[in-house]
Amino acid sequence: MSAADDISTILSSGIRLTVPLAFAACGEYLAERAGTMNISLEAMMLGAAFGSVATASATGSATTGLVAGVLIGLLIGFVHGNLAHRLEVNTFVVGLVLNALVLGLTSFLITISSFDSHQVSQVSVPWLRDIPLIGHPLFVERWPVYLLILVIPLTWWLVERSRWGLELRAVGEQPQAADVTGIHVNLRRRQALLWCGALAGLGGAYLAVGEVGSFNQNMTAGRGYIVIAAVIFGAWRLGRTLLGCVLFGLADAMRLALPALGLTLNSQLLVVAPYLLALLAMLVFATRNREPKALGQPFVRGST
Amino acid sequence: MTDDERARELTPPSAPALRLRGISKRYGPVVASDNVDLDVHHGEIHGLLGENGAGKSTLMKILLGLVQRDSGTIMRGETPVDVHNPQAAVALGIGMVHQHFSLIDALTVWENVILGDTGKIDRAAACRQVEEVSRRYGLPIDPTARVDRLSAGERQRVELIKCLRRDPSVLILDEPTSVLTQAESAELFTVLRHVVRAENRAVILISHKLAEITAATDRVTVLRKGKVVFHSETSATTPPELARQMVGRDVSLRAEGAALGMLPVDGAPAPADPGTGTGTDAAAPGTAPALRLRDLTVTIDGVAVLSDLSLDVAPGEIVGLYGVEGNGQSTLGDLLSGLVLPTSGTVELAGRPVELDRPGALHRAGLGIIPEDRHSSGVVLDMSVAENLVMKSIGDVSGRGFISRRRMHAIARRLAAEFNIVTPSMDTPVRSLSGGNQQRVVLARELSAGPGVLIAAQPTHGLDVGAIEDMYQRLRDAASGGVAVLLISTELEEVMALASRIAVISSGRITGVLSTGEATAERLGMLVGGVAA
Repeated sequence: MSAADDISTILSSGIRLTVPLAFAACGEYLAERAGTMNISLEAMMLGAAFGSVATASATGSATTGLVAGVLIGLLIGFVHGNLAHRLEVNTFVVGLVLNALVLGLTSFLITISSFDSHQVSQVSVPWLRDIPLIGHPLFVERWPVYLLILVIPLTWWLVERSRWGLELRAVGEQPQAADVTGIHVNLRRRQALLWCGALAGLGGAYLAVGEVGSFNQNMTAGRGYIVIAAVIFGAWRLGRTLLGCVLFGLADAMRLALPALGLTLNSQLLVVAPYLLALLAMLVFATRNREPKALGQPFVRGST
Repeated sequence: MTDDERARELTPPSAPALRLRGISKRYGPVVASDNVDLDVHHGEIHGLLGENGAGKSTLMKILLGLVQRDSGTIMRGETPVDVHNPQAAVALGIGMVHQHFSLIDALTVWENVILGDTGKIDRAAACRQVEEVSRRYGLPIDPTARVDRLSAGERQRVELIKCLRRDPSVLILDEPTSVLTQAESAELFTVLRHVVRAENRAVILISHKLAEITAATDRVTVLRKGKVVFHSETSATTPPELARQMVGRDVSLRAEGAALGMLPVDGAPAPADPGTGTGTDAAAPGTAPALRLRDLTVTIDGVAVLSDLSLDVAPGEIVGLYGVEGNGQSTLGDLLSGLVLPTSGTVELAGRPVELDRPGALHRAGLGIIPEDRHSSGVVLDMSVAENLVMKSIGDVSGRGFISRRRMHAIARRLAAEFNIVTPSMDTPVRSLSGGNQQRVVLARELSAGPGVLIAAQPTHGLDVGAIEDMYQRLRDAASGGVAVLLISTELEEVMALASRIAVISSGRITGVLSTGEATAERLGMLVGGVAA
C-alpha cells in the first residue's frame, strides 16, 4: 500500500466518523443558541441508532430505519423540551436521566433481540470520485452523507437569517426581554429541541444503518458529549463547531488506522486519544464571551 | 399635515384612549392592584405616581398582557378588550418602554426593532424604517450597531423607535429617566410632547420623581398600596400635595423630601444640619484618608469600565459618588466587594494598600459594604436572619468547627434590636423580610464588624420612605461615629442630602469633585455629561 492510499483510507474513515457528529452538532448548535444546554444529545443519538437498526430489521429497509431514527430523536427532543421548558425541571437533570435511561434500555433490548444487518446504499459521484487522494473519501459515500450539504447551510440560515432564528437567538440571550417583546420563549426553546432531536437522531441512525449496519451496546460511546464540547469550544459558531467534529473524526480514524499501519500502542490509551486530542485542541481555541447569556437558565415569566 | 393627522386633531381631547375599571390583582396575601379605575385620554401625558411597590408596574403589566388580572375591565374607547398576552397588547396599539429595557444586547438595532413582528425578515426595509422613524422624531441612531455597544441614552432611543414604529395609540414609559442624563431626559420629554401634541397619542408616564411628574404631565394619578388615592389635573396640584398623597401623610422630614425629589436641586441646597456629622468640618484638612482609591482602571472585554479613578474619603466624612446608572458605579462596587480585580491601580485602607486578589482582604482591612444588588451579593435569601447577620464573623460564634446556635442567636437578637430589624424570628429566612428589613440586615452585619470604611451602593434602591429615612439616619450616625462613608448613588437628591462632597462619575472617570455648597444642578449636569466644569 502506498502512502497516498493510507492517507486516502484515513481520510475516508475520518469523514465517516465525522458525519454523525456533524449532524448532531448542527442540532446542538441551534438548541444552545436558543438557550438550552441539551445534555440528552447522547440519548438522542444512541436511541436513534438502536431504533434505526430495529426498524430496518423489521421492515427490511435501511431507509425506513433512518426515518425511524429521526423520529426517535424527535421524541426525545419532545420529552426533554416539555420537561425542561414546560414543567420547568432542571435541564441538566432531564438530560442525565434521559441518557441513563436510553443507555440502560438499549443495552437491555439488544441482549434479548437479534437484528438482521441492513445498510443504506452507497452513492458514488462520477468524475469527482476520480480526484486523487480526496476523490474516494469525499465522493463515494452512503447517501445520507450528502444530506449534510443541505443541513449545514440550512442550519446556518435558520439561525442567522430567518425570523425564527432571530427569535431563537433573542430567547437564548435575554429571555425576559424577548418575552416582553411578545416572543413565546419556552415554545421557541421546545421547537429548537425538536430540530436538535431530528438531527441528532439522523446522526445516530446514520452511525448504525449507514456506517456499521448493526447496533452494539453503548454504540455512540460519548459522541454526544463530544459534540456538546465541540459547540462550546467552537464558541457557538457553526464553522468552528464543525471543525471540532472533523478533528475528532480524523483522530478517531487515526486510532483505527494506526495498528494497520504497523504501529502498536496500548489499545486502551488509543481509545482515549481522540477524546483527549479534541479536548486539547478545543481548549486552545476556547473563547467564552460569545456564550448565549441565558444558556442553561430556565425561563419563568415574572421572575427576574 | 396629512388628512389623517388633521382628523386626529379634530377628535375631541376628551375621548378616552384607554379606560380601566375595577382592576384587581393579588399575589397570595399581597394586593398589588386594588379596584383601580383609570382613564387615559388621547393627546395627554398621564403621570402615574407612586412609591416602589405601590402597584404601578403591576398595573402596566396587566395592560401589556404580561400579568393576568383577577377582575376588572379594560376598555379601548367604549369596547371591553381582553389583553391575555403581549401580542394582544401590540394589536390593541399599546406599546411600552420598559424600565429595564427590553432590548437584546447581542442583536443589532434593526434586529431589535423588528423583534416581535411576524413574516419574512427584510434587513434593508427594516433599516430604512429605523432611519425613517429616527428622522421623524429626531432620535439619531445607527440601525446596524450592536445594542451592547450603545450608551443608555441611545438604548432609550432604540426602545422609543421600536415602540413608535408600531404606531401605538397608547405609549407607556416606566421610569424612563432613571438611567438618563439630564440632557437625555430633556430630549425624551421633547419627543413625548411631540408624540402627544402633534400625533394625538396617549402617553402614560410612570415615575416616582415628583419634579418629573410636575414638569412633564397633563394629569396625574397617585397610587398607594395598589389603590388610586388621588387624581387631578397636574396644574391644579402641587408637589407637596402629591408627596402627601403618595406617602399617605405629611412629608416634612428632610430625608423624605430628598427621597421624593423635593429638594430645590436647582438652587443652593440647605446647609447640612448641625450635629449630623456630615459637615465638612468632620474631614478637617490634614486628616489621613481612611479610604484611598488610586488610579483604578478596570478593563472588561477590551472596554475600560473604570479609568484612572482616584478618590479619597476621610474618617467621619460622607462622600457621594453621583452619576447616571451604567457609568462604572456597579464595577466600582464589585471591585470594593472583591468580586472584580482592577487592571491597574490600588485601594488603600487606613494608609495601607490592600491585596485585592486575596479573598476577604477588604473585609479584614476594615471595609464594610452595602452592595448594590442586595439579593445577589448582600444577603443569602434562603438562609435565616441570624445566619445572615453572623456570616462575616463566623469565628465569633464557632469553636472547633462547630457553630454555637446559642451564641449566634444572642448576637443576632442584639443586632436586630439595635437596628430595628422587624422579623418574626431569628430563624426566618431573609427572603420573607421586606426590602427595608433585608437592607437593615446587611447594614447591621457590616457595621457590627466595626469598619473604618463603609461603602453604600444604592443603599435605598427599592425601599419605602420610612426605610429610606432610617437608612439616611444610620449612615449619618456611622459617619459621626468616625466611619468614612462612600455613598454611590444615582439619586441627586440623596447625594445632596447626605454627602459633604460630591464626586461625579461619567464613563468610568471622575469628572469633578464639588463640595455640596458649590454643587448646582447645572454644574453637576455638565459633569454627569462628561464635561469638566
